[in-house]
Amino acid sequence: MLKIKILLILLVPLMAGGCGQPPATGDVSPAKIYRHAMDGAPGSLDPAQAASIYANFVVVNIYDTLYRYKYLARPYQLQPNLAAAMPEISEDGLEVTIRLRQGVHFINDPAFEDGTGREIKAHDFVYSIKRHFDPVTRAQGAWLWQQRIEGLDRWKAEGSDYDLEVSGLRALDDYTVQIRLTRPFPQLIHTLTQGFAAIVPREAVEKYGQMLASHPVGSGPFMLTSRDSVRVVMVRNPHYRKEPFDLADEGFDHAIHEAWGLQKLQGKSPPFLDQLEIEFINEGAARWNAFSAGEVDFIKVPVSQFDSILSRREPPQLKPELAERFHFEASSESGFIYTNFNMADERIGYHPDPGQDRRNQALRCAMVKAFDWTRSNETFFYKIGRVFPGVLTPAVPEYDAAGDTSYIQRDLEGARQLLAENGWNEETLPVLEYGFPNGVTERQSFEQFRNFMTDAGYPADKIRPLIFATYGDYQRAYSAGKVPLINSSWTMDYPDAENLVQLYYGPNASPGTNSANYNNPEYNRLYEASIAMHESPERTAIYRQMNQLLMEDCASITGISRTLLFMWNKDFAMKPDRSFLGGYFMRFVDLAESLNDAP
Amino acid sequence: MLGVTFISFLLMVYFGPDKTYELLGKNPTEEQIREVRHELGYDRPFLVRYGDYLRELVTFDLGLSDSNGEPVAAILARTLPVSLALVLPGFVIGNLLGLALGLLAAWYRGKWLDKLVMSASVVGMSISFIVIIIGLQILLCTPYGLNLFPVRGWQVDGPGSYLYYVTVPTLALVLVTLGYNTRFYRAVMAEEIERDHIRTLRAYGASPAEQLFKHVLKNSLVPVLTRIMFSIPFVVISGSLLLESYFGIPGIGLVTFNAITSGDQPILKAVVGLTGILFVVALMINDMLYSLVDPRIARP
Repeated sequence: MLKIKILLILLVPLMAGGCGQPPATGDVSPAKIYRHAMDGAPGSLDPAQAASIYANFVVVNIYDTLYRYKYLARPYQLQPNLAAAMPEISEDGLEVTIRLRQGVHFINDPAFEDGTGREIKAHDFVYSIKRHFDPVTRAQGAWLWQQRIEGLDRWKAEGSDYDLEVSGLRALDDYTVQIRLTRPFPQLIHTLTQGFAAIVPREAVEKYGQMLASHPVGSGPFMLTSRDSVRVVMVRNPHYRKEPFDLADEGFDHAIHEAWGLQKLQGKSPPFLDQLEIEFINEGAARWNAFSAGEVDFIKVPVSQFDSILSRREPPQLKPELAERFHFEASSESGFIYTNFNMADERIGYHPDPGQDRRNQALRCAMVKAFDWTRSNETFFYKIGRVFPGVLTPAVPEYDAAGDTSYIQRDLEGARQLLAENGWNEETLPVLEYGFPNGVTERQSFEQFRNFMTDAGYPADKIRPLIFATYGDYQRAYSAGKVPLINSSWTMDYPDAENLVQLYYGPNASPGTNSANYNNPEYNRLYEASIAMHESPERTAIYRQMNQLLMEDCASITGISRTLLFMWNKDFAMKPDRSFLGGYFMRFVDLAESLNDAP
Repeated sequence: MLGVTFISFLLMVYFGPDKTYELLGKNPTEEQIREVRHELGYDRPFLVRYGDYLRELVTFDLGLSDSNGEPVAAILARTLPVSLALVLPGFVIGNLLGLALGLLAAWYRGKWLDKLVMSASVVGMSISFIVIIIGLQILLCTPYGLNLFPVRGWQVDGPGSYLYYVTVPTLALVLVTLGYNTRFYRAVMAEEIERDHIRTLRAYGASPAEQLFKHVLKNSLVPVLTRIMFSIPFVVISGSLLLESYFGIPGIGLVTFNAITSGDQPILKAVVGLTGILFVVALMINDMLYSLVDPRIARP
């Protein structure tokens, strides 16, 4: 290594004419800068278009939502954010009243009269939700509230006139919002934690129009100063409301959180950083190099580096030399990966002839048996992904750790037997296309899938790749029912298993989230029976029953939740989160050193 | 120009990425799909859309990005200079070095030096650009190597910081292009060296430098210029994509790539149009330069 260094020392000045200089930081350099790396970039920063986890991550730092999740409590617990308290909900669950904090202002912006940010009122929230039902907004969050809030769909049908009142979404006074639901919707408050529900001022929307996507005007803890294709830079909002940090209220647990240096945050008002920089680094190698060089303070570790950083896999443990310098966490993602059968395709799904329908079901079940989750986990997830049967992931309390796992055990003999018993052979097996967007990993997944099936006797030439240039093109094809085998993933929108079981609810069929076009009347009945229920033993029993139905019908080969590894610089006191808390944790990040200096 | 824009627009409309599903929420209805397509203008007649496209190009009013709402003209104005500043040193050094090595190899054609240069060129051409980038990052930008330069960034405010950020990307670009350039220039020069007038020069006792620089190089300038001029549009628009992506540099290559993957048609239309214009301009300049380096071309 020394020789290489000497050689490079000689070569580099020759080739580059000197090292150059790092840019001058100037005298006004902020004291506390935190640089966060994300593995993707947001598109729009308009809350109404904050559909990706990356956009949501940024948006909740610039805008305010009525609710958020507690910083440290797991399972996730709701916490008022711009709301003054948790909502008041009527006995029948149909009327929700939310009171807002008083004295909270938008940031200063030319959109306001005299350029001074005005106070946020209840009508701002009403306006922000209405925007999702205005086609001009190109909003992506309407699905959260459509047919759930009284009068909102009608308001849209009548032309989305903001001056017309919606009976189910009203500002009772400047600081009180009332929502009337068409049916109980226990997940409503979860939806109000999302970037989609962030509050935007009408003046800014009217002034900037579509450009609001790159010129945000919010009231969150940070303000955007610059943004391009590789990073966003935000600075502390100097007028952000004072909310002393309360360890107990945020779910602090000595046994879990003590090592992360969070105790000294007690009583301080976030945000603690002067500047927040989020780097978008899609390429794993570049992300790792940037982290190694100290150019970013946090990364999601790329799978290619797992071998070099872990001393053991189960549970994942960082090598001691790295553990001295970095904090580390392994956590299961709040979603899963699966391969759906398109049940609307008569080659593999429902068939009007009952006999063929039964044979198709046997074919699907044989393919489920032929799939080798162990090898898939080894090949693509470093053997630390969590495999589970059905749709209830290990992340939700409804997951049954002691349940039937036969659906995720490879049974090649059983698969061959099922095929033979139902008259399937090399001649009769249908040609099936396996869809995926163009990409190396996606192609590898396909090849492995085909290999698993050929092990069970499926001719290799009868399982064909159906490749799309972009994910959008792929989504368009499977939403139109043109892909028989749909390899995809789902990231939960809120920490409630309803968000998982709705994936196979019949009326949500394509172009909806039920890309399998699964339509089992019993499953649908159970979903409808549970729709008004909060998390409870009764609802858990129903969800598990639905999960069992799904597995027996073999509508999907599912599933695996990836284990994600995160590392961050010990200079910072924080507990990062990539799932439901998402970008909300940024306001609580502080320099460990400054905390040590604190009295 | 009309032909280029028409064909590229036709391809974009019928075979390009579709942003509809990017913009749709979950569980969309058919009506919502129609709404989004209408908002994106996908339901308008092709010729009307093409007419609007031409008008946008002529007036340089390129609309707003479908992804982030920013004016496309502003995006181009911000990112094009960055890409130019990023690739220009590598482009110039890569071509100059290629010319020098090509001349050297051609002069010593068949000898060990020629074989060495050509073998090294093949090796350089065989190594993936990504491998070169990651290797250089590790060697020059991280504590595992020299840690002299940044892995990512582009906060350029003067010559010093420019060198700081551009050195490693330039090295990567030179390494990846040098092999191709050298082989091309060597072939051109070797052909020229074989010509009668060069042999005559040698017979008159002209020095190697006089032969190479005054005659061989000068008489080879037409193919050399053609190669350089035709590669400029590619270098400006797409050549920097990997560099920008891995070095975190906010240039036009990355913006174009993102526009392709996300189906951001206003940006794609602008970039495709711009590439066409650049080609036309490059061709025109090329023709002018031809007549300068070889006056016979300008004669009627």
